[in-house]
Amino acid sequence: MLRSTPHHVNVTFAVVEELADKRLLVVTGKGGVGKSTVAAALAVQSAREGLRTLVCEVNAKERISQLLNRPEVGAEVTALDENLWAVNVRPQEAMREYALMMLKFESIYSAVFENRVVRYFLRFIPSLQELVLLGKILFHLREKRPDGRWRFDRIIIDAPATGHAITFLSVPQVIVDTVPPGAMSADATWMRDLLVDPKTTAVVLVSLPEELPVNETIELHAALTSRVKMRSALVVLNGFIPPRFGPADLPEGLSAGLKALAHNHSSRATLSDTCFTRLQQLGVPVVKVPRLFGDFGRQAIEQVAAQLGGPK
Amino acid sequence: MKANPIRAALESSDVVITVGSGGVGKTTVAAALALRAAMEGQGSLVCTIDPARRLANALGLQALGNAETEISTATFANAGLAPRAPMRAMMLDMKRTWDELIERRAPPDKREKILNNRFYQSLSSALAGSQEYVAMEKLWELRTQRDYPLIVLDTPPTAHALDFLDAPNRILDFLDNDASKWLLTPAMAAGKFGLKLFNLGGSYVAKTIARFTGTETLQQLADFMLNISGMNEGFRERAHQTRALLEAETTSFVLVTGPMPERLDEAIYFHTLLQQNKMKVAAIVVNRVHSSVADSLWEEVARLPASAQAKFDQTLKENDHLARQDARGIAKLREACGATPLVLVPRFELDVHDLNGLYETSHWLWGDRHLDVAAPGQ
Repeated sequence: MLRSTPHHVNVTFAVVEELADKRLLVVTGKGGVGKSTVAAALAVQSAREGLRTLVCEVNAKERISQLLNRPEVGAEVTALDENLWAVNVRPQEAMREYALMMLKFESIYSAVFENRVVRYFLRFIPSLQELVLLGKILFHLREKRPDGRWRFDRIIIDAPATGHAITFLSVPQVIVDTVPPGAMSADATWMRDLLVDPKTTAVVLVSLPEELPVNETIELHAALTSRVKMRSALVVLNGFIPPRFGPADLPEGLSAGLKALAHNHSSRATLSDTCFTRLQQLGVPVVKVPRLFGDFGRQAIEQVAAQLGGPK
Repeated sequence: MKANPIRAALESSDVVITVGSGGVGKTTVAAALALRAAMEGQGSLVCTIDPARRLANALGLQALGNAETEISTATFANAGLAPRAPMRAMMLDMKRTWDELIERRAPPDKREKILNNRFYQSLSSALAGSQEYVAMEKLWELRTQRDYPLIVLDTPPTAHALDFLDAPNRILDFLDNDASKWLLTPAMAAGKFGLKLFNLGGSYVAKTIARFTGTETLQQLADFMLNISGMNEGFRERAHQTRALLEAETTSFVLVTGPMPERLDEAIYFHTLLQQNKMKVAAIVVNRVHSSVADSLWEEVARLPASAQAKFDQTLKENDHLARQDARGIAKLREACGATPLVLVPRFELDVHDLNGLYETSHWLWGDRHLDVAAPGQ
């Protein structure tokens, strides 16, 4: 079973220094802040630096393959680029893989797990679904190639949004606390230890320069630290608006429309700066990613990747 | 004035339900609707799930709990508003609503057993849609036991639209499933607290599952099933009543979305589902729309001194890009959602977090103001 703890990677490369030696990156934040974009950008940058990288979406409407202009990957680990693989982990397939690992034999799986009554039971075992999803992802961390090197040097999880992220990431601990000893709780212990190991795992929080997303990031950071015991290594402030207009840029006799335009831009820029300052108080490095005004897709991902992979 | 779909819906409904995915401003729209109703003389209650702190403060909701709080005249006066009817707000406490449900429904001798069962305690995470179920349950209680001219229910942000419509059915499925009957019936008929699975004792299937989950886990689930099985009838009845309430003539849905592409696909899907389920969608609110750039501004910028021109030009281009992107989204939504009217609310300079902001929002919802949408262009 999934027991030993993997060693961290001994490679330094240009993705933000705080993340350089981590094998597992968990990207999370409020819905709609650009989590998938940041996960995809980190993955592209990682792969470019020569690390064999797997990016995982968790039972979501698949977005990363689309952002990278590739066909949908589904529940099979699929190569997207040199050194870059993606998968959308879904409960049914994950459950099957998990059960097969435990039971060893396909025939037993079919006889037992495809039984109507058993399916019904499994549906209501608390957190089993999250456990198998997480279990499948973490399992890939310890897979090796025939020559003994890691199959994946780095795994990036595009984790569920805030509330669900806490639930998702606390599942191993919840199971350790509540489920009586057995195969399930032993696996949960292994997963918990891996998630809380700061040498292996880092959380990347994604936020937007607006009041609500920033509040949520601060709360999420606190909840991860206190409840899940996971360490945030980086905050990505996505959609940052740098200041543009100074007093000298506003000539006499501007119309109300242009005054409003400049004023509006300045308010957004001020808010961006306020949000940056608030996030810095978390004591975690904050990277600004400027707001992009193009269409989403590969080009945008490359731009964000360039921001994240900038000089140390 | 042109007939405004939201105004018409509020006047002819006693329940308005705002639905949509997370992060689109659903709570703001719900609160703005309740405020506007009160301003117009229709007493209202807005029941929200998880409002932003400043909005909660503006509504006088300091703490979690199922209490309905009236917004004081003084609070309104501070904002320069004088509603003609009272407005109340409440924050739905999921856990407490579930507990109340069990306390009301469960036979007295089973209550403690259920409330202390680990399965009950994790029911909210184990059962998809249980938040939605609780919201429906609360709505039913408010509708039948209180006397508000208008209730605006802000639903939980749904990852999957079906969770919301399906919630009552899922609870029934949990209690009333063939598999659970198969497991429970013999034991219940015999009046024993046992379970067929365990009566089978060393059966191959039972052993294999136990290997997976541990034996105690199964035992606890069995206990839970037995304890709540007496409540089936009550749940079933309520599920039918809730369904009838959702389909009633006096219930309207307001679907809230943002104009960006990934939100629109969800909104279109949700709209189709609501219609298939015979739910009345009064309007689709497209929130935070970037309004189009007036031609006069381009002309003015062209005449500016070179130093200022570049910055204004870039800003106009960015705004124009966003406005056109939104306009394309709106056109797509209009095409996909046929006869359902769209109501556009502009993106404000800063986010709405006080009563004035809510009232300002209501002008756009109510049709006092209209937004010009850019030509979609390319």
